[in-house]
Amino acid sequence: MGKSLLILVAAVLLCLPLRAGAGDGLVVHAAASLKGPLDEVLARWADGNAVASYGGSAAQARQVLAGAPADIVILANPDWMDWLETRGGIIKASRRDLLGNALVMVVPVASGKTTGWPDPADLPDLPSGIAEWLGRDGRLAIGHTRSVPAGQYARHWLEGAALWPQVAQRLAETENVRAALALVALAEAPAGIVYATDARAEPRVREVFRLPSAGLPPVVYPAAVTTGAGAGADALLDWLASDAAMAVFEAAGFLRPPGTP
Amino acid sequence: MTLGPEAMTALGLSLRVSLVATLLALPLAVATAYVLARWRFRGKSLVNALVHLPLVLPPVVTGYILLLVFGRQGPAGQLLHELFGITLAFRWTGAALAAAIMGFPLMVRAIRLAIEAVDPRLEEAAETLGAGRWAVFGTITLPLIAPGILAGAVLGFAKAMGEFGATITFVANIPGQTQTLPSAIYAFLQIPGAENEVYTLVLLSLAVALAAVVISDHLAARVARRISGRSRQT
Repeated sequence: MGKSLLILVAAVLLCLPLRAGAGDGLVVHAAASLKGPLDEVLARWADGNAVASYGGSAAQARQVLAGAPADIVILANPDWMDWLETRGGIIKASRRDLLGNALVMVVPVASGKTTGWPDPADLPDLPSGIAEWLGRDGRLAIGHTRSVPAGQYARHWLEGAALWPQVAQRLAETENVRAALALVALAEAPAGIVYATDARAEPRVREVFRLPSAGLPPVVYPAAVTTGAGAGADALLDWLASDAAMAVFEAAGFLRPPGTP
Repeated sequence: MTLGPEAMTALGLSLRVSLVATLLALPLAVATAYVLARWRFRGKSLVNALVHLPLVLPPVVTGYILLLVFGRQGPAGQLLHELFGITLAFRWTGAALAAAIMGFPLMVRAIRLAIEAVDPRLEEAAETLGAGRWAVFGTITLPLIAPGILAGAVLGFAKAMGEFGATITFVANIPGQTQTLPSAIYAFLQIPGAENEVYTLVLLSLAVALAAVVISDHLAARVARRISGRSRQT
């Protein structure tokens, strides 16, 4: 009895259709920070079907070059798009800067009484007072400063603002920017530097400071059609850059790419 | 093939974390294995399932639970901090805790197999000759299962060396503090053109893991020989 039940369950599971990545649709490999608005934009595409696979920019770039069935790739980092381009993974003429973003410093919404962190009301102005914001033993949650784009941007700004010596030994470096966001949301870290879009999506954090764009290399999401793309990939990329799609991205806090009005 | 300072730091940290994790978890693993192998009680299968949980849960989930429980805001984290002044979050001690928990089921399994292979009649014979429970365990059971304990320790150590998901979720990826060998490999994989560092670290990890499994196998074979040899004499 138990055995036949097991066989029945296995048979049913095997018969289930594999919906995601359906053969007739297009696949977008996208940076993890785009999840949410990109799904909405893809769902609204009228001229075909498309699904998105999310991950870190490095993993996405490597997968595309290794022959993953991707038609469009959107990364959070121009370096990895350059890497793909020099190795022939994308169609060079199709590459464009799709979106921009801003970086912000966030703190937990929960008050200092419950978290044990300094109360923002008692603290000096940012950014110069950043050390006080971390309290006695707090750490600044931040993407890994060598490997995660948001961490690289943050480090660039901290160095430019001469704040790096104060915080270099006080960082909690994470493997992606959403993990840094989670540390602040849980109040494990008293402050963090994340994308403006992340801060907007997480109700447990509060934006306290926006990093000035003047001191930063532009935060840009390049997109391109891959070398092995199927028919319709160019049309999909045009749709992603259309005003209708841009309205969805902007509602989530993304910016138009740097250099556009 | 040369090791940069970041790689050397990561290797040293991984060895320290794994050693501390193994030494801390081992006594508890022996006790748990003994209870599971020899005692009968209600809820035993639940205890067994709990012990194996880190083996089947996604490591990221284990790390997140650790963060919620042992983090600065977590109940156990606050207790440890107030009672003993121990902080785990974003410290190498937290990495050691994560590694210990992930390696624990492997240790228990190896040690439990060794205990179950011991002929209970040997222990009963000692008891009829007047030895107390602890004396039986110390003079009969423990020597017989020593190679099994060693095998479990080696497996747990190897698991600790390779642990990534729970560690990076619980204590992040801070060079010199919590950036273990796997975390360093992951970080280098994210940098275009850092393949050489990646290959070096991957070979290093492979060597450690292979050595651990070979040693563990050797010890397991020894425990089998030893116990079957004694059994024939009874």
